[in-house]
Amino acid sequence: MINRQFSVLLFCTLLAGCDNSDSTTVAEQIGPHPKLDKPSAFLLPPISVPSKVDWAPGQTPRPAAGLKIESIAQGLAHPRMVYQLPNNDILVAESNAPSSEAVTTPKQLISGLVKKDSGKGGKGGNRITLLRKDAQGHWQKYSFIQNLNSPFGMVLIGQSLYIADADALLVFPYQPGDLKIDSARGKRLADLPSTINHHWTKSLTASPEGKHLYVGVGSNSNITENGLEAEYRRAAILEVDPQSGASRIYADGLRNPTGVAFDPATKKLWTIVNERDEIGANLVPDYLTQVKEGAFYGWPYSYYGQHVDRRVQPPAPDKVARAVAPDYALSSHVAPLGMQFAQGSRLPGFASEGLFISEHGSWNRKPLNGYRVSYVQFSQGKPVGQPKTVVDGFVSDDQQRIFGAPVGLTLDNQGALIIADDVGNHVWRVSAAP
Amino acid sequence: MPSVTQSRSPSRLAIFFVNLLDPAAYGAFVAGFVFDIIYFVTQEIFWVKGASWLNFFGLLLAIIPRLINLYQVWISRSVSRPLAARRSFWLNALAIVVAIFNAFVHSRDAWGVMPAGLILSSVTVAFLVLAVVNHALSTPRYQEEKL
Repeated sequence: MINRQFSVLLFCTLLAGCDNSDSTTVAEQIGPHPKLDKPSAFLLPPISVPSKVDWAPGQTPRPAAGLKIESIAQGLAHPRMVYQLPNNDILVAESNAPSSEAVTTPKQLISGLVKKDSGKGGKGGNRITLLRKDAQGHWQKYSFIQNLNSPFGMVLIGQSLYIADADALLVFPYQPGDLKIDSARGKRLADLPSTINHHWTKSLTASPEGKHLYVGVGSNSNITENGLEAEYRRAAILEVDPQSGASRIYADGLRNPTGVAFDPATKKLWTIVNERDEIGANLVPDYLTQVKEGAFYGWPYSYYGQHVDRRVQPPAPDKVARAVAPDYALSSHVAPLGMQFAQGSRLPGFASEGLFISEHGSWNRKPLNGYRVSYVQFSQGKPVGQPKTVVDGFVSDDQQRIFGAPVGLTLDNQGALIIADDVGNHVWRVSAAP
Repeated sequence: MPSVTQSRSPSRLAIFFVNLLDPAAYGAFVAGFVFDIIYFVTQEIFWVKGASWLNFFGLLLAIIPRLINLYQVWISRSVSRPLAARRSFWLNALAIVVAIFNAFVHSRDAWGVMPAGLILSSVTVAFLVLAVVNHALSTPRYQEEKL
């Protein structure tokens, strides 16, 4: 009997292994027309994450040739998003998932334990820390705003600092040079969808003239396993009036729009989206797309246009028929979590029209995918070619250990790229090598 | 179902645990099957989540009685191994193997569970029902009258 059970286990492992036999390469899944495999069901839930190991003293991620990297802040509590203020102070939102999602399936029990091992489940600080370079050139940390609720997006319009908590859009008065803002001075501008909060991050940007705010709200499930009613105003980008807080759905069907930003050249809104899991190691590619007003991008019913996901019942053929395919695939499970247009960058080779994207890294495929900051070249307002690696080395070469993972990105006023690393709890600064 | 009754001198503790846990596991698997049917018909997500917990707890509850059964049928020297006891063992073992597969299938999201989950739930319950039939057929009638 024991032998029999062992054989069954072995059989399961082999079946699960089949998911990962790459017929499609990562490169084929990048660009405007990704090659899409047939969806496959798994037997063992696909979980593959390296174990967390702290950065050794002096150890850093690996920048591309011609660049150098330094740590400008350590010992943070799960730094997620970074934002540069006009005076070159840098804000770091330290947060992780609010503990609002109940365990409702046996799978959640197991995956919670695995996530902990990878360092991706670290406790968030629920605060914003300010980094400022002193006269000696050292970066100092200041406690900027406390008592937040899983803050993520940040944007300054004039003297109003907007912070997107997991459940609300807040606005704080800001004076140039402020080192601290009393959290009691924050005003709750608008409620954001907050029940369950399976995807809790609320990304945030403002239109170039500051007329509107745009909030990326992720879905409440991988693929409607919490019921369709839990998806009200989710998997969407909301347009919010910064004065009144009134909001409307600007575009939807975007499973988890973890970053929103305007291209400074074309003044068009772009987003990075984390697509659905568990139908194969090569499905569904995460993507970058320009957001068209009123457009529906498929989730949950379909992906990349009319590729129907049978896991959603009842189906909605009318919605599938009008689903828009995104502009540029980033390949499967890379988990893009941060984006920064390159205008203002002084990194050699990465200084023209283009976009930096942080790929937080896969947790459900072998070999791993992502775990780097990449750069996508733009031409005439559209992404072109294959992305180039700006920084990698967040995992060991044998893919067994994880030291860090990139999330938020911003540029400082010297044109250096600032990277929040929520696994290694560092903030990194990448600049031109001397 | 408890095939340990075949033992000449079964441990009272073993009888206690088998009679305590085996019906609970059986009930959990049957309820899981019913929940799967309701999900299949209504597509209401609540039912399939319930079904995955029932299958999960069914497996947990089945561990001790199945180990006792394994010992009584194949290892214990004091036990004769009549055909009915061996048949009962294999029917229960197959039910558990199918339920393990079913636990994995039920870890899929939403309709991804269907139809495989419903098929496996029904096969699990079918094996368990066959084990009950086997037990009924192999139990001497005078025992039933005594009951």
